Amino acid sequence: MVRFLIPSVAVLLFLLEPEFAMLSPIEMKGDIYYLVPRFLILYLIFISIYYSRQRAVMYGLFFGVLYDVFYIDIIGLYSVLYPLICFLAGSIVKVIHQHLVVTTTISVILVAILEFILYQFFYLIDFTAIPLADFLRSRLLPTIIANALFLMILGWAFKYLINARVLQRAREVS
Amino acid sequence: MPHFFFNKKVILLLVGMVFLVALISFSLRDRTNATLPEQIIKDTVGVAQSLVAKPANYINGIFNNIDSLLNTYEENKRLKARLEDFAVVQAEATDLKSENTKLRELLNKSESLKAFNPIHATVIARNPDQWEEKIILDKGSSHGVEKNMAVMTAKGLVGKIILVTPFTSEVELLYTNNPNYRVSAMVLGEKEAYGLIEGFDEERNELIMKRIDSSLTVKEGEQVVSSGLGGIFPKGVPIGEITEVSTDDFGLTKMAYVKPSADFSILEHVVIAKRTSTVVDGSDGNATNEDLSNPQKKASEEEAE
Repeated sequence: MVRFLIPSVAVLLFLLEPEFAMLSPIEMKGDIYYLVPRFLILYLIFISIYYSRQRAVMYGLFFGVLYDVFYIDIIGLYSVLYPLICFLAGSIVKVIHQHLVVTTTISVILVAILEFILYQFFYLIDFTAIPLADFLRSRLLPTIIANALFLMILGWAFKYLINARVLQRAREVS
Repeated sequence: MPHFFFNKKVILLLVGMVFLVALISFSLRDRTNATLPEQIIKDTVGVAQSLVAKPANYINGIFNNIDSLLNTYEENKRLKARLEDFAVVQAEATDLKSENTKLRELLNKSESLKAFNPIHATVIARNPDQWEEKIILDKGSSHGVEKNMAVMTAKGLVGKIILVTPFTSEVELLYTNNPNYRVSAMVLGEKEAYGLIEGFDEERNELIMKRIDSSLTVKEGEQVVSSGLGGIFPKGVPIGEITEVSTDDFGLTKMAYVKPSADFSILEHVVIAKRTSTVVDGSDGNATNEDLSNPQKKASEEEAE
């Protein structure tokens, strides 16, 4: 049961992202703020940290291709960035302590890096012309806050689910 | 020799990089159609997406209902005040309509730039990273949707179809940085003024209307609608209201900032307008001076020469 739960949660998060994206951009006192939901990659980072780096990279590749084809029509962008972020997360965790607070912080930082690389890419190919300061204020900061909130609410659930799977696998092996 | 290729992983990485750059540059070119694997993925994800979108829209609807319930009293008062004018306007409209059809019959002219067949569609997704302004609809080529059709809500123009697969279609919103995205528009003032909606101002969050003849007067608060002259959008779809008028970059023509009438932040149900009069086929904005409506004819002419 738990075995299938992990990929189904990933699929669900993938399908929920655009629904949450419809709430954005929000207008506050004349300023526009963009909240980009990055639920799936946060979940994949958790898989990479608590379960298996290799598995996370494979999920990252699969969902990256889907994301590229369905949403942005630039094939090769997310399909590289998602696995890369998962790989980084899995590598970082080998040198630090796996406490939930620490992993949450790392996840949010990695999402910020992802967001920044994407901004640089779209700036390079002239899809956007907003200056760096505007990007930081109207996109990066709100996105980080929203995703950090999401992770604070559901991070423990992810960890619980993944741990259940790890235990199940340990039982199967023994 | 075994260490000549000092690391298998490095080679793999390099090959991967080359492949990646090739893929990205392939997909960045102006493509008019999605390839078959892309269409299959788009349709499959689209079906799954619409399964999730329906309950999400339902929940969204509940919140909207609660919101409107709280404003009922205020709204009721305002609506009652406007209802009295409405009867007069409606009588006038039916009168004008019948007169219009009679005059058309007199001229033996049945085709109108205004006429269109509506296709109702539901928004199933919006690209979550929000760099390009796109939405994805649950109707595709099997429902009669074609590229370049206008997409609107009850309030006004939203964008146009840029990519169609059998069961989904992709809409580029008016809020775009794409320099080739233009909408022929007119200002409903004392005298009609024509111009083009070209790009939008990110700081003001408003559309920019350019190339308005400088001899014409355009005032704040006047309505902007699509003119139907661009060959894609039907005539008379509301776009927005002018908030500021100034001169163009070179001072030869006027430009105006237009506050869009449609609400772009939460889009749920949209109408795809299939224009009944001739639609100019081909890409708008490559400035190629080609006869876009008849590409075959032009080719055969060239051969004849």
